[in-house]
Amino acid sequence: MELAQERDSGTNVISPAGRVDGSNSADFHEALAAAIADDDSRVILDMGGIDYISSAGLRVLLLVAQRLGGSSTPFAVCSLAASVDEVFRISGFNQIITVYGTLDEAKAQLA
Amino acid sequence: MRRSLNINPVPGAAAAEALPRIVAFVEEMAELDDWAPDLVLRSNLILEELILNTLTHGRTSGLSDIEITLESGVNSVTITVVDDGAAFDPLNDKPSPDTELPLQERSIGGLGLHLVRTMAEDLEYKHADGKNHLTLVARAGA
Repeated sequence: MELAQERDSGTNVISPAGRVDGSNSADFHEALAAAIADDDSRVILDMGGIDYISSAGLRVLLLVAQRLGGSSTPFAVCSLAASVDEVFRISGFNQIITVYGTLDEAKAQLA
Repeated sequence: MRRSLNINPVPGAAAAEALPRIVAFVEEMAELDDWAPDLVLRSNLILEELILNTLTHGRTSGLSDIEITLESGVNSVTITVVDDGAAFDPLNDKPSPDTELPLQERSIGGLGLHLVRTMAEDLEYKHADGKNHLTLVARAGA
């Protein structure tokens, strides 16, 4: 699991790559939590590099979304692979987490 | 092609240690029978959710063997999982979560089996000879 990060005037773009499953979801959670700062004005998770996510990975996204929701920090994911999009829809995660097609759309529209 | 993998849980070992073997098993079958990429991902997801559910939810008492069998079909794979743990019907014994709840009220419990029940087809469960028998079909591009 690799995780790239870029901050641009308060927008925190985090780009993980690889699989998120039950064997590395704890590491994923730790890395994500460390990549998010209390003073980020908004957080975008670019999922374009993830082709597999199981319920263990969804749990991490839920916890992160709940933390950011609790501090009213805008949060979105973008660039979901078809397989990840399917998991999002079945789980109803597309109704509780804002999803954009591309990173550019997310940067332009997330507020 | 039809092949089986046996997982024999070691008491106290982390459940996730079984995952790399399952992934390798699925990918080996996928390569031999030329599965579509989304069939590989679905089969992996279904097996991860089923096996981790069995290994992590206090059902390991008396559990000594989980046998996973994969049989390739046309754009599909039939997955059979037989285990000798406590009786548990993954189709009915755990309700699906309410996927309509707002963010702060959502919890993750039951989501794994909900994914399995929604993604797979022709699901059948029976408890026979002291074992749980689950059969289901994963299909490409469904």
